[in-house]
Amino acid sequence: MEVENVSVTFGSGSSTVEAVKKCSLTVHAGEPIGIVGESGSGKSTLARVMAGLQPPSAGEIRFRGDNVFKGNKSFQSGNRNQVQMVFQDPYGSLNPQLTGLSAVAEAVRIHTKVGKDEAEQKALELLERMGIGKLDALKRPRQLSGGQRQRVSVARALSANPTVLLADEPTSAIDQSAQAQLLKLFLGLLNDGLAIVLVSHDLGVIRYLTKRVYVMKDGVFVESGDTETVFNDPQEDYTKMLLASIPGELGKAARAKLKR
Amino acid sequence: MSSDVKLLDINNVAIGIKRRKRETLVIVREANFDVNYGEMVGIVGESGSGKTMICRAIIGTLERRGASVIGGEVFFEGLDLRTINEAKWKTLRGKVIGYVPQSALAGPNPVLTIEKQLAEALSQVEGTGSMKNRSKELLDLVKIRRVDTVMKQYPYQLSGGMRQRVMIACALASKPKLLIADEPTTGLDVTVQSQIMELLREIRRDLGTAIILISHDLALVDEVCDKIVVMHAGATVEVGPTSSMATPRHPYTVALNSSRIDVAKPGGELLTIKGNPPSVGQWNPGCRFAERCDYVQQDCLVGEHPALSGNKGEHQSACLHSEKIGKI
Amino acid sequence: MSKKGRKVRREGTFGIIVGAGMMGALLLAGLLIPLFGKYDANEISAEQLMSPSSTHYFGTDMLGRDVFARVFDAVFVDIGTAFTGVLIPLAVGTIVGTLLGISRNRRVNSFIGSLIDGINAFPFLIFVIALVAFLGAGLGSIILALSLVNWARYARIARTRAVVVNQQGYVEAARTLGYKPTRILFRHIIPNVSSETRAYALSDFIIVIIAVAALSFLGLGVNPPQAEWGAMIKDGANIITLAWWAAIFPGLAICWAGISVAVFSEGLTKRIGEGNQQ
Repeated sequence: MEVENVSVTFGSGSSTVEAVKKCSLTVHAGEPIGIVGESGSGKSTLARVMAGLQPPSAGEIRFRGDNVFKGNKSFQSGNRNQVQMVFQDPYGSLNPQLTGLSAVAEAVRIHTKVGKDEAEQKALELLERMGIGKLDALKRPRQLSGGQRQRVSVARALSANPTVLLADEPTSAIDQSAQAQLLKLFLGLLNDGLAIVLVSHDLGVIRYLTKRVYVMKDGVFVESGDTETVFNDPQEDYTKMLLASIPGELGKAARAKLKR
Repeated sequence: MSSDVKLLDINNVAIGIKRRKRETLVIVREANFDVNYGEMVGIVGESGSGKTMICRAIIGTLERRGASVIGGEVFFEGLDLRTINEAKWKTLRGKVIGYVPQSALAGPNPVLTIEKQLAEALSQVEGTGSMKNRSKELLDLVKIRRVDTVMKQYPYQLSGGMRQRVMIACALASKPKLLIADEPTTGLDVTVQSQIMELLREIRRDLGTAIILISHDLALVDEVCDKIVVMHAGATVEVGPTSSMATPRHPYTVALNSSRIDVAKPGGELLTIKGNPPSVGQWNPGCRFAERCDYVQQDCLVGEHPALSGNKGEHQSACLHSEKIGKI
Repeated sequence: MSKKGRKVRREGTFGIIVGAGMMGALLLAGLLIPLFGKYDANEISAEQLMSPSSTHYFGTDMLGRDVFARVFDAVFVDIGTAFTGVLIPLAVGTIVGTLLGISRNRRVNSFIGSLIDGINAFPFLIFVIALVAFLGAGLGSIILALSLVNWARYARIARTRAVVVNQQGYVEAARTLGYKPTRILFRHIIPNVSSETRAYALSDFIIVIIAVAALSFLGLGVNPPQAEWGAMIKDGANIITLAWWAAIFPGLAICWAGISVAVFSEGLTKRIGEGNQQ
């Protein structure tokens, strides 16, 4: 997947906000990349554009060579499902009236055109892979924890058999132990060949999961490169500051370096 | 052990919610820890572990939710908080004990300017100088620049981090002896998070305020607190000085530690805790962590929940087999 | 693995059962009594204005008809009309309001929006009375008038809610997943919007039951000799000091209907509230 010189501008007339300014990046199959930045950096907007939820004001997004937003339509029908997204807020991501099973089964039915029973079966399997057992699959979102809800969202996204999964701050609203579970899940998916684009403000999470990282500030990529390299040898001051803010051991190491 | 009065002493506390008639839903049982003057204590646990409820007990807002302390004692400077009436609470709450709510939830009153909010907090306390100056001092205390501008603004004009600082400022108006910060950084960016943590550290250093920091993030608490209390399913399962907690003695803490991202190798093993915390009201006999425990033995499944070993002030663990940890 | 404590009975069950039971009993009586009752609602079966007795439980009205029979003959008329008068606005209002809430077409939005606000500005009952007077008396007119006025109230609720729902993650997720717009609308958006409008419908039902009776009281409802609570009260009001039973019993029927819905809806609210408690 290619993002080329994409800009996204909101508003009109005198009050416009350029959320994303000429950003470019490439996603290769099976490669995990991270986009890191604070709130307001434009990273979520970029992710949404990549997911096909809104068109860019300038620039192109190509999936397997095809322009995603051809004309004014987004995604030619075959490819639409190849790029899926998991959102930040686990509380709003699921239809409160549907059980986990219903939500995932619906997605399965639409994407694979199988019968109701077969879809439910597949949905259960998918949920099982996500660590959601049969009992929990029959619960409504309000009966599930934040971490469980995120995993149901991932299951739903996976039912479309995507090649690219965008995750917008998936760990921000859940407990540390649930975070670990979700990240471990993502790791497994990576090993299965899924390309994951992880958007987060938490560099610790990015470091764990990704191979390439783009540091975003005020709509622009200020630094990018291999995750390990950026971590051990940050060039920009902004990157250094982000590194120093990570709670725990990572942050301590970064702060020690800063003092030198 | 020592005869010094502790600032806060939570002794085998149980909290329950009264449902219809005779039914009481127990949500906290065997909670145990203490806080000394000027100490920074971190309470760690998953959602539903009871960590917020305990703090409501300290602040006295349990009644509002139909809950009450049904066992044990809550001593604040030697005074048993279960026995006091609302009038006495008014002299404590917001005066000697401060509370900063979760950043994602509450926040400053959206219809009042910052100036008015601070004034409201300050009106509860004696002080010298005009309200305006005192308010500015408070904003200074929480390291807010451009004080004059901020005073006139409404909460919606401020960022999440700023709003949280204002809440801290309001809580500090009375220079409390104890400040309870309930997940103060959840939902905020890591950069803001580290700033708020730094702020809390400074407050502790400059004002001598004891701080209880509630969090689900062990890495965060490990960095700033003197003492860590680990809660699971309503009970305190391990407590001790931070340095000693680096070698945990309860399987739950061990698991929490292993699931920390900051110490995991990139793309490497990340241990997770199997299962989910038991739902309130559906506690099994014996140790409530047994189902998720890697070291579980037969005797963990029956009888009462294990009590904490040792004495307050030491490194205590509520595991019957803590000596087996690390030797699987 | 034994669970400590017995299963907690869910909140609100009492209200739900009592409310549904009361309404159910009323409807059952409305069905059975006209079929198997001693007297026909329209036959003149005895002397006028006889007080309640063992033969005429509710006494007789001023034409000599059995009040008991008439009260229950009116059940389906009153409740049926009220029910339809709520169902139509609920359906229409929810759909229109939802479509409005998710539409990005400025002109349509402001035009229909103003229409909705305009209709809502009028006091409900007065507007309905005026319409019925205009359309001519009769149950059909009542239902039509109610629909024309009330849909706007539901539409307003639906629109506000639809705007919120439309921005929720699961709707966006549905779009990313490539669901067809009709599916998203009917399977995801409308159900979550209608939860609010349905709640409103319950409280509206009570008002409409009373409104239907009030309209008949004013002479705008059914044609005689059909039994109907409001009309019965009107006839009985003049002679209330002489023959209290002619007006009081239909009045009690209205109260019974209204209270049953109120109790039911309270129970339902508690039940949902329990689900939301964390």
